[in-house]
Amino acid sequence: MKQVKKAFGLLTAAALVAALAGCGSSNSGNSNTAAGSEPASGSAAPAKEKLQKISIFQSKVEISDALEALTKKYTEETGNEVEVWGAAGDDYMTQLQAKLTANQGPSIFSIGTGAPADKLKSYFYDLSNEPYVKDIAPNMALKEDGKVVGVPYGVEGFGLVYNKDLVDPKNVTELASFTKTMEELKAKGINPLSLSQEAFFLIGHILNTPFALQPDPQAFIEKLNKGEVKMADTKEFQEFGKFMDVIKADSKNPLEVKYDTQMGDFATGKTAMVHQGNWSYTMLKDFGNMDDKLGMMPFPLEGNNKIAVGVASNWVINGKASPDEIKAAEAFLNWLFTSDTGKKAIVDDFKFIPAMTNIPADNLDPLSKVVYDAAKSGQTIPWATNYYPPNIVVNDLTPVAQAYFLDKNMTGQQLLEKLDAAWAKAAK
Amino acid sequence: MKKASRALFEVLLVVLALAFLSPIYIMVVNSFKNRAELYESALALPHSISFQYYAQAMAKMDFFTAFLNSLTITVTSVAIVVVLASMTAWMLARTEHKLSKFIFMVFVATMLIPFQTIMMPLMQVMDWIRTHLHIPMLNTRGGLIYMNIGFHASMAVFLYHGFVKSIPVALEEAATLDGCSKFGLFWKIVFPMLTTITVTIAILDVMAMWNDYLLPSLVLSDKSLRTIPLSTFYFFGEFTIVWNLAMAGLTLTIIPVVVFYVFAQKYIIKGIAAGAVK
Amino acid sequence: MNKTKDRAWFAVFTVPLLFIFTTVVIIPFIIGIFYSFVTWDGIPANPKVFVGVDNYIQIFKDQRFMASAWHTVKFTVLALLSVNVLGLVFSLLVTSKLRVSNAARTMFFMPNLIGGLILGYIWQFLFTDAMEFVGDKTGLHHVFFNWLLNPQFALYAMVIVFTWQMAGYTMIIYIAGIQGIPDEMIEAAKVDGANLWQRITRIIFPLLMPAFTICLFMTLSGAFKIYDVNLSLTKGGPNNATEMFAMNIFNEIFGYGRYGLGQAKAIVFFLVVAILTLTQVAITKKREVQM
Repeated sequence: MKQVKKAFGLLTAAALVAALAGCGSSNSGNSNTAAGSEPASGSAAPAKEKLQKISIFQSKVEISDALEALTKKYTEETGNEVEVWGAAGDDYMTQLQAKLTANQGPSIFSIGTGAPADKLKSYFYDLSNEPYVKDIAPNMALKEDGKVVGVPYGVEGFGLVYNKDLVDPKNVTELASFTKTMEELKAKGINPLSLSQEAFFLIGHILNTPFALQPDPQAFIEKLNKGEVKMADTKEFQEFGKFMDVIKADSKNPLEVKYDTQMGDFATGKTAMVHQGNWSYTMLKDFGNMDDKLGMMPFPLEGNNKIAVGVASNWVINGKASPDEIKAAEAFLNWLFTSDTGKKAIVDDFKFIPAMTNIPADNLDPLSKVVYDAAKSGQTIPWATNYYPPNIVVNDLTPVAQAYFLDKNMTGQQLLEKLDAAWAKAAK
Repeated sequence: MKKASRALFEVLLVVLALAFLSPIYIMVVNSFKNRAELYESALALPHSISFQYYAQAMAKMDFFTAFLNSLTITVTSVAIVVVLASMTAWMLARTEHKLSKFIFMVFVATMLIPFQTIMMPLMQVMDWIRTHLHIPMLNTRGGLIYMNIGFHASMAVFLYHGFVKSIPVALEEAATLDGCSKFGLFWKIVFPMLTTITVTIAILDVMAMWNDYLLPSLVLSDKSLRTIPLSTFYFFGEFTIVWNLAMAGLTLTIIPVVVFYVFAQKYIIKGIAAGAVK
Repeated sequence: MNKTKDRAWFAVFTVPLLFIFTTVVIIPFIIGIFYSFVTWDGIPANPKVFVGVDNYIQIFKDQRFMASAWHTVKFTVLALLSVNVLGLVFSLLVTSKLRVSNAARTMFFMPNLIGGLILGYIWQFLFTDAMEFVGDKTGLHHVFFNWLLNPQFALYAMVIVFTWQMAGYTMIIYIAGIQGIPDEMIEAAKVDGANLWQRITRIIFPLLMPAFTICLFMTLSGAFKIYDVNLSLTKGGPNNATEMFAMNIFNEIFGYGRYGLGQAKAIVFFLVVAILTLTQVAITKKREVQM
């Protein structure tokens, strides 16, 4: 068969192999011989055997359309097929777990950095030798036991998103100026700062700052898990409690605010600041264009002047899949991070801030631009949230935060004590 | 006088029914609004009526494929549940020994198991069947139908069991004397008398299966197999919901079942009329 | 002779369904019981460690689980009453030969057509936006406020949504029951001079006993197992005040990844509820009248 192939011209060979691929697995030497006769043109489809069909399961519903469109392009360019499975945002982990349990796992799936990744680490295929790994931005790759196992979706960042017409970041630099600005805005009848009822937007993200300001956040969390330190006794947290008291006193009860209304109020100028991330831009633009008024600044705890930047999700390959499937999955990820089509889609269609140094980031929206610049300059604080015990934000911290915002008499210090208690239970 | 009170009664009923429908009002009006308009007010009527979100929702959901999948799965599952459960329930109700009582109690008791606690073992069992018996239970319509039957068996048996009691035993005894086999007896005499409850069970099961999200989401992966609820996943992000498309998608989802219900309801009334003649 | 034949028929009628039912429900449930004796995070590749009855002992130290069980009991009692009273009233109304009966019957059943998760989201609009709107218009802010923010009222809100969804469901079972009552019986009672109340309490109710058994059981099991509405309406909040039993288990298994403990909780609760409901079924079954 190989000899016959060589007799044909390159293009016919490619077409023929693609057509014959169904006949079963040919040996791995096959692709080498084909590659040998190939000119150094990157645009022509490489003459390889057709790879097994793979499946992708991922949690970000917002990119499903774009991802499906991209896999179609992948099939056009390489002849290999990819199927995208869908899951509604909330259920992703449950469904993933069920599919893995049934040995019906996807070839490639997404996983959150930190606790979720630790839980599933026995499934991850070692990506250390993949060609694109060297392009992952420093410290952004997902690692388990020293091996690179996941490639970040992109980086994301959060802080205080503000309306430039209403707030000057120069007036929000530490507790005193923050308080003054809040009170002035309130006096003008504007809701100064809005959190919202969703667990991460209520407490998860904002609580990140005092953790991130610790000299070694991960070590601090481990001590907290063991009960060796307490938030209530730690300086940054005590300050955080005071910030929360100001927020509670001067702004609308966040439990009455949904993410939708939070963005709506912000877009219409009823709210001056929201504690949010660059992802909220996609929602904001549904309310009209406010690009020139839009800014993001650090949450000024203890004079903090850095935005929290991190990785929420990573692509991993299912190491329990068959060797053929893994091979096909490797090929797809390689294509995604090295081909022009793939790189372009990550930025333009998925709207991610690339965590790869070989992907240029032009045309970013104003919020992503702030995050991207911060990431490039290294002026960032980490996402300590990733290292919390699994699901603690939703399961344990949110109820405490709800109690805090419902009880007018509860102080920030008491909030910390309750958070400590909740943490101790969850970390058991 | 009596006429007046009857009219009052009717007005009251209409008011009650309308109040009952207010959430459905919310669903429908918001399927015509974009995010900004929804933000202004979730209760107000839309500024304009345009079916663009319906068109978008249908395209994204791949509505017709999903519709056909839902239809095949629901109809087949319900038909088999009705046939098997009615037979089982009748046998259990008419057999007076410990085993039949025990089986019935097991059926009833299992209705109390929260699905979430058996879903992982279920996946393992189905995987075992797939790898050892080579019957593809996962990612196939057949597998989902099989599991649907299993999960809806209890309720159907329970309902049939209750209603078999209201059929006079004398009638069956007469038929037995006539030389009817059990099979003939059941299908010719008993089953027709259970029409009302059959339609009731069919309605309840159709609703439950048509709307089910969790089980299909675990069993089906391929896009071409998605049922309607699965296809709406596009509209549910982790933090956001694309309201207009979600509401439009939901409205599209329930229209077929409303039509089915209205149709089936007539059947109940007919079934009653037929029963009354006997 | 006859006995073996009867047995054969018994098998022919029951085995197909029993087989399916066993593979889909019984075997997984038994596997689940086994898991309640191990510590495991639910990931097949990770180790399972046998710990005996440790998980069961832990349950009773878990105050949050106890709290959620108590919420579930409160919720179930309230829901049981409201669903069945409303369902029965509806069924009596729509079978009473009014001109609008058919339309009303459809309308009352409509809520059941909206399945699962989105239902709670729609009701959120009603409890937040609509409640505030009415509160502002009427000035009755102590009744019309955002119920979901008040621990007590959030539970009532769940009862309302559950009732809204289930009343139509029980209604159609009651209708099936009512229509099974021979018209002649009621006509005869009318001729004998029984008034509406007497007709309902003396004739309709006793003959409706099978429907009662069924509806009570359905509501009971539905309320005990409630999850979807819980998740989409309140997510268990505020401050866990509405965290029901199923959600607590779900969190234990998929949130904390304590599979064994979650299974143990499920089994304890299953036993408690099974005893309660089977007693209920036994009691109401005794009151049924054979025709």
